[in-house]
Amino acid sequence: MDYLIPITILLPLLSGLAIFLAGYQGRKLVPFGIAASLATLLLSVGVVYSTFNGAKADPNSLATVGSAIEFAPSWLRIQLPVSIANHPVRWQLQFGVDGIGALMVLLTGIVTAAVCIFSLQQIRDRLHQYIALILISESMLMGVFMSMDLVSFYLFFEAVLLPLILLINGWGNSKEALSASRKFLLFTLAGSVPMVIGFIGIALQSASITNPSTVDLEVLSAMANQQQTEAVAGGAELVSTLATNQQWILWLLLLGFGIKLAVLPLHTWLPSTYAVANPNTTALIASVVAKLGVFGIVRIVLPLTPIGLASEAQILFASLGAIAIVYGAFVALSQSDLRKVFAYSSISHMGFVTVGLMSLNTEGMSGAAIQMFNHGIITCAMFLLLGMLEQRRANLTFTMEDLGMAALYPRISVLLIFFTLAGAGLPGLNGFVGELLAMMGMTRVNAAITAIAVLGTVLGAWYGLRIVQRLMFGSDGHSKHKPLIEGQGDCASLELTTLAFMAIVCVYIGVRPAGPMKMIEPDIARLVKVTEPASKIMHPDVDTLAQTAAK
Amino acid sequence: MTPAIVLILGGSVLLAASMVLKGGPQRDVYGQRNAMGLLSIFLLILAGACGFFRELPADLGNGLFRFDDSALASERLALLGGFLLVLISWSTAPKNFLGEYYGCLIIMLGAIPVVGASNDLVSLFLGLELISIPTYIMLGICKNDNPGAEATIKYFLLSAFASSFFLMGLSYLYGVSGSTNLQLIHEALGFEGGKLTMLAIMLVLCGLAFRITAVPFHFYAPDVFEGTSLTMAGAMSYLPKVAGFVAMIRILGPDMSPSAMSAVVPVLLVCAGLTMVIGNFMASAQNNLRRLLAYSSVAHTGYLLLAITALLRDNAEPNVLFSYLAAYAAMTLGFFACLGEIEAAGGRTHLVGDLSGMFYRRPAASIGLTVCLISLIGLPLTAGFWAKFMVFMGASAAGMTDPMSIFMAVLMAFNAVIAAGYYWRVMSKLFEKSDANVPLRVFRPSLFLAYTICVVLTLVWFFVPAVM
Repeated sequence: MDYLIPITILLPLLSGLAIFLAGYQGRKLVPFGIAASLATLLLSVGVVYSTFNGAKADPNSLATVGSAIEFAPSWLRIQLPVSIANHPVRWQLQFGVDGIGALMVLLTGIVTAAVCIFSLQQIRDRLHQYIALILISESMLMGVFMSMDLVSFYLFFEAVLLPLILLINGWGNSKEALSASRKFLLFTLAGSVPMVIGFIGIALQSASITNPSTVDLEVLSAMANQQQTEAVAGGAELVSTLATNQQWILWLLLLGFGIKLAVLPLHTWLPSTYAVANPNTTALIASVVAKLGVFGIVRIVLPLTPIGLASEAQILFASLGAIAIVYGAFVALSQSDLRKVFAYSSISHMGFVTVGLMSLNTEGMSGAAIQMFNHGIITCAMFLLLGMLEQRRANLTFTMEDLGMAALYPRISVLLIFFTLAGAGLPGLNGFVGELLAMMGMTRVNAAITAIAVLGTVLGAWYGLRIVQRLMFGSDGHSKHKPLIEGQGDCASLELTTLAFMAIVCVYIGVRPAGPMKMIEPDIARLVKVTEPASKIMHPDVDTLAQTAAK
Repeated sequence: MTPAIVLILGGSVLLAASMVLKGGPQRDVYGQRNAMGLLSIFLLILAGACGFFRELPADLGNGLFRFDDSALASERLALLGGFLLVLISWSTAPKNFLGEYYGCLIIMLGAIPVVGASNDLVSLFLGLELISIPTYIMLGICKNDNPGAEATIKYFLLSAFASSFFLMGLSYLYGVSGSTNLQLIHEALGFEGGKLTMLAIMLVLCGLAFRITAVPFHFYAPDVFEGTSLTMAGAMSYLPKVAGFVAMIRILGPDMSPSAMSAVVPVLLVCAGLTMVIGNFMASAQNNLRRLLAYSSVAHTGYLLLAITALLRDNAEPNVLFSYLAAYAAMTLGFFACLGEIEAAGGRTHLVGDLSGMFYRRPAASIGLTVCLISLIGLPLTAGFWAKFMVFMGASAAGMTDPMSIFMAVLMAFNAVIAAGYYWRVMSKLFEKSDANVPLRVFRPSLFLAYTICVVLTLVWFFVPAVM
């Protein structure tokens, strides 16, 4: 029983609510809000630390999901006035953290703290409410990353929507905010409401084995693993029955998570939301909220419906990911609206995560997990920088002349160049590690998809450098003589410190990826026990390298 | 039976009291309102107490009434709706017909337990008519203008029409089984039935579909909601629905024969699908708030019908329906209470656009509206989430053997998204900046109390769904 978990969830929630309830007095509570976000960052570091020292995975256990530290008091249960298979529904809720979860918790902590610090400069209107809502969303996000059962996962997953909608609506571009936030709401709901049927399906199927039914991911994953092992031993017919059983659940889940991670045909909410919301808000959405989809696939789809995934969706999703990489990059190249450029580049980068994840082997999935974290840090920094630039130059687009800002804002431009290169996958920085691993994993499954995905790195460098060139060095020499607007010089030291800290994280992971790898290694190793066999059964002739190794 | 008797007798007393209430210009309207409201609350509390302290025999028997779980649940639903409706009516009841209004309302409430407990076709029909007839009167007295008269006539004629269908179905059921006792009828339905049985059940379903506003018997709903007063619209969206669904549970027993099942379930599934799709699409096209609410009530009927299909196949329990109806009561009646308060304070609630900027004019009611809307969408932190969740659960359980049911569940999920679209439209109006920014300051404690109760229930039931 680790009380770090509830504290990490409740601290931002309660401080956010406190600021809200204080009403007009809340204006004075801004420093308190910042302090709360920093305290949550410390707590999330604590979570990472105790996950490192937490319980080690039992190599003989069937479960493919497990937590190093957990919090599951017996009073934390949900009781519905109905029954499944003649047992009243009484589900124990579980919270726990494993390596991947800890990584995401850390990411959330860093991003929220950065967003809160930046909002001091960026948000002029109702700052205290803004910070309160950011803190509330942080708490919900922490809840998603730390829940170890279907119900609390879903509740937090869904509850994130409410503060986000308010953030998009209240501090966005006022003309289009309403329709964009409506699109965001409807798209996300169109994914997550059918998803609940998938979750229910999992719980109902569990009732036939572990009566009474359960929503505990550890138990469910052990069950899925056992079912799969039995089916594999039993022959092709059993395997296909199992795949059919899992498939309808799988598609519902993939619809929900796919929309959140903006997989290609379902991505249209993303550019419109990113273009309308305040860049500060977008930093949070792009870096953490968009990861909920990937995290959901890692936490629920992979362990619970592996055979169903491998049978059709694996190659489909991998191809969609590869297409998204190229498509996103090309659209990013052709946009003149900077926010849209960043939005499509985000779609492109998320493609690598999808590709890596769908390889279903160790390299690919570790790459995807690491890339989740890396992309979070990089995108957050990029959007924060964008916010700073937009504040200094209204309606910033590529078509504007006289954009050479390097001379005016040397600190911002150095940081922008740094994060652009990290995003483009420069060796030595963190983007490289994730992308390389993801593509290594995919090569073992389907080299053609990797070949398409690789194009993305070239294109990524292209549009990245285009941003830098046009914004920073596209000057005709006049901008130097423009007078600086009062209070809008180069970035302040507080902001510089924040971004420098994030840059250090990028360098650290780029130079020494072994640190975070060690954290996620046991989780990936557990997952692979069930996903790799599934992939091999369904595609016996594709996974060439793995088979030669096995022989 | 005591609570129902208390309510029906008490309602009759109130009706009689209307004869001695002083009319004319010198009368004390506020005194009469308060007296009537207090009396009604007293009657409801008395009925609740009778129900609470009642001891049920172990053997429920096989008589005219049978007090099983469904009966008790319908009683609770009636009392819940009753308290809320009386509170909402307190300041909105038509001042010239106070006695008639409260009398009819209480009789309607008393009739729901009669339907819920009836174990015989005769008592069932009696209960349903005890709901319909006061409704005609209330529709007539609530609004004394042309739309009001239109709504009344429309409802009266169509309701009589539906009742005749229902009666015809009942007579065939009697013919098939040779008895009016529902237990015996259930046994008869358990055998391989002929076409006559199916005809009987279809006719009964037609009659009930009218009460619950299922497609294709939903046409009256928007006109009636628009034509009558806000409070009455609230009552119309809730009370007939409870009665209709309870009657459906009563008549369509759990152990139907496979052939009867294979005839009834597809009809209900199609009906559920059409009801939710048409309800939601029509609602998203509305600008008139009342019509929007009417169609949204149609859509919710569709969700409940899906639960009924799961129930028939033994994949769900009646509790799914009762929980949904309880959550529905809290969110819809709460919504009507908030609108009522805005109206009482001098705001307009005719069109969706009238709510523009309401948050800055009337914050408390707007927050109430927001919570009710979130619950209507079915997002977490509100009871509406678990209500939909349990319907999904029933439909998915049924879907383990019948893929059609899964399909309908997914259809319902997408419908919930369409619904989110128009609820969101209302919600975003509340918070947008508008020119009308005169604060509305008139305070009505009864309405405030009503929606506060609804909001609290909606939030509490989310955390403790077991008591829903």
